Amino acid sequence: MTATAPVVAAAAPKMDPLHHFHVTKYLDFDYLGIDVAISNSVLWMWIAAGLVLLFFHLAFKNPRIVPGRLQSLGEAGYLFIRGIVDDIVGEKGRPFFPYIFTLFFFILFCNLAGLIPGSFTVTSQLIVTATFSLMIVGFSFVYGFYMHGTHYFKFFVPSGVPVLLMPLMIPIEIISFLARPVSLAVRLFANMTAGHTMLAVMFLYVVTLPWWGAWLPFGFTVIFTGVEIFIGFIQAYIFTILTCVYINDSIHMH
Amino acid sequence: MIASAYAATAEHAAAGSGMPQFEPSVFQHQIVWSIASFFVLLYLLKKYVLPPIEKILDERGGKIRSDLEAAEKSRQEADKIRQDVQRQLAAARRLADQTVEEARLEAAKYRDLARESLTQELAKKKSVALAEIDAAKRAAVAELHDAVVDIAMLATEKLIAKSMNKNDVNKVVQEAVAAIQANPGKLQ
Repeated sequence: MTATAPVVAAAAPKMDPLHHFHVTKYLDFDYLGIDVAISNSVLWMWIAAGLVLLFFHLAFKNPRIVPGRLQSLGEAGYLFIRGIVDDIVGEKGRPFFPYIFTLFFFILFCNLAGLIPGSFTVTSQLIVTATFSLMIVGFSFVYGFYMHGTHYFKFFVPSGVPVLLMPLMIPIEIISFLARPVSLAVRLFANMTAGHTMLAVMFLYVVTLPWWGAWLPFGFTVIFTGVEIFIGFIQAYIFTILTCVYINDSIHMH
Repeated sequence: MIASAYAATAEHAAAGSGMPQFEPSVFQHQIVWSIASFFVLLYLLKKYVLPPIEKILDERGGKIRSDLEAAEKSRQEADKIRQDVQRQLAAARRLADQTVEEARLEAAKYRDLARESLTQELAKKKSVALAEIDAAKRAAVAELHDAVVDIAMLATEKLIAKSMNKNDVNKVVQEAVAAIQANPGKLQ
């Protein structure tokens, strides 16, 4: 036992369960002082986007009135997002449908592509999820002003609350509004990071335990990969739902 | 073994910046590319993916609508045909009933007619037979009358031709009386 310990310890730096969250720049580019490097993160964004396009291309390559399996799946995806937008935002949400559709499938395919061994999970990068959530909340804020003008400030004044409580309620409303992008970004990032870290830790157990003990964490990784697929869907769904809720708030106030 | 491996890992992590996601040097390009990738994907989906989906869904909706309309039309036509058939059936039944009724009335008429002619025929035959019987009876009576006359003439001849004594006259009278007593109707 003691003889193998240094060997394992020497391999340990490679056994970092957070290792697969490392962003590695393949090509370093600068454009007008902005860093536009191509990294594994960027590469997998493109792969995910490419998979979205490939999926829909295959599904609707030869569209039929009576759909085949893949076309049914594609239509189900379309109608799923359509249903979310119609249910939450309603008629006025139609112009945003392509954005929400793109957002859902981009995030979903990033989540699922991250489960391929050796791949990179784009949505486990807080900066990526934060970019999206800030775009969404920022857009809903700007759109709210565009729709309602200064009237939009009433958004931060809860109705039916005694005036005496206003000095307390208005800051709470503002904080809860500011918490939106944070919670949106952190939820997706944390779910992806936690799941993949858990899988990584279990795989480390598999390679460090002797064969008679390795089957237990290995079995767990098998089950947990299934759970991760489910989580990938759920998180993309939640992200989309909340986006619709925020857009609805800026259209209809509350 | 495992403990030391993880101790080494912890050391390594401590030596680095902790979670790789919080490494600021990789932020900028990911922000840029996230936004760029999103909008490129949005553009491609909007241009190449959403229109065919919407087209096929609309087509299917139109097809379902037209199929439903066609089905409704066929149903109405079938209804009309069914009603027509029922009407025709009812008319045919009425006609059949009428025909049967007429036939029955005609049959009854013929039966009455036949019975009447038969009755007349029988009556005629009966009267003919009665007339024949009557004629025969008259003939028989006339014949009998002739026979009695003949017998009387014969008896008279015999009486006249024979010289009669008292006994003979008696005998003849007795014979005549006996004859009359035996058949009293003959002399009428």
